[in-house]
Amino acid sequence: MDTNAILGPVATLALWSMIIWVWMYATRIPAMQRAKIDAKNLVGTTGRGLDEVLPPEVQWKAHNYNHLMEQPTVFYAVALALAVGGMGGGLNAQLAWAYVALRIVHSLIQVTVNRVLWRFAVFALASLALLALCVHAFMGFVLH
Amino acid sequence: MPENLLAPGAVLALWTLVMLGWLAVSRGAAVKKAGIDISKAQPGGRGADLEPALPPSANWKSHNYTHLLEQPTLFYAVIVFLHLSGGSTDLTRGLAWAYVILRIVHSIWQATVNRLPVRFAIFMASTVCLIVLAVLAVIATLG
Repeated sequence: MDTNAILGPVATLALWSMIIWVWMYATRIPAMQRAKIDAKNLVGTTGRGLDEVLPPEVQWKAHNYNHLMEQPTVFYAVALALAVGGMGGGLNAQLAWAYVALRIVHSLIQVTVNRVLWRFAVFALASLALLALCVHAFMGFVLH
Repeated sequence: MPENLLAPGAVLALWTLVMLGWLAVSRGAAVKKAGIDISKAQPGGRGADLEPALPPSANWKSHNYTHLLEQPTLFYAVIVFLHLSGGSTDLTRGLAWAYVILRIVHSIWQATVNRLPVRFAIFMASTVCLIVLAVLAVIATLG
């Protein structure tokens, strides 16, 4: 069994995060131009302030990018720990792929229709996949 | 105590999801009590948008879950650096367990009583553990 198989989904989600980063700027910069915001003279503002001036669909890309910097950081930590501990193959690799696939679906919902209930359902499913990985890491490193 | 430096990391990752469960249960109950129907939510609504409508103690669980996705990400990186560069010693394992135990205490405090001076003191103590681990990680990886 390839114990590094779990690094595939890790690399995929990292790359997906950067795709959302590109998507965020590809929509945000034209929207800022349309809103006549002169970025050259801004001092000390953050992207959050744009929630008040840009259309929601533009900010949804940023919301999702921020979201990808939240729970997935635990996923990266657990996946790396499982790989280093020789537990990154088989079921754990499949759970990691499920997590990544669900996070990609979650992103696509959040940046397009953004229906809260759909987004919530996909987030809950992804969290369960991550929970299973965390339990396996706990069993492997703490209870073994 | 497990010999593996990654064990405290696995515990903190699992604890983060326990907090997610606690958040879901307390927010779910508060949303119901406030008469909010999330199937009718505005497209794009986020958890933070609920804050003004919910009691503070329901929001505290969410504040702590968010908090667990901030500084601990640095902790995970540091223990992986130490683990991969031969920096797993009694000292680093002890500090890593101390960090995780303090973060769990911090979570329970923030989710329940949440008096600020105590939360600050626990956070400071855990941060000191992380600072020492980060310094040891620099030494281990450069050596």
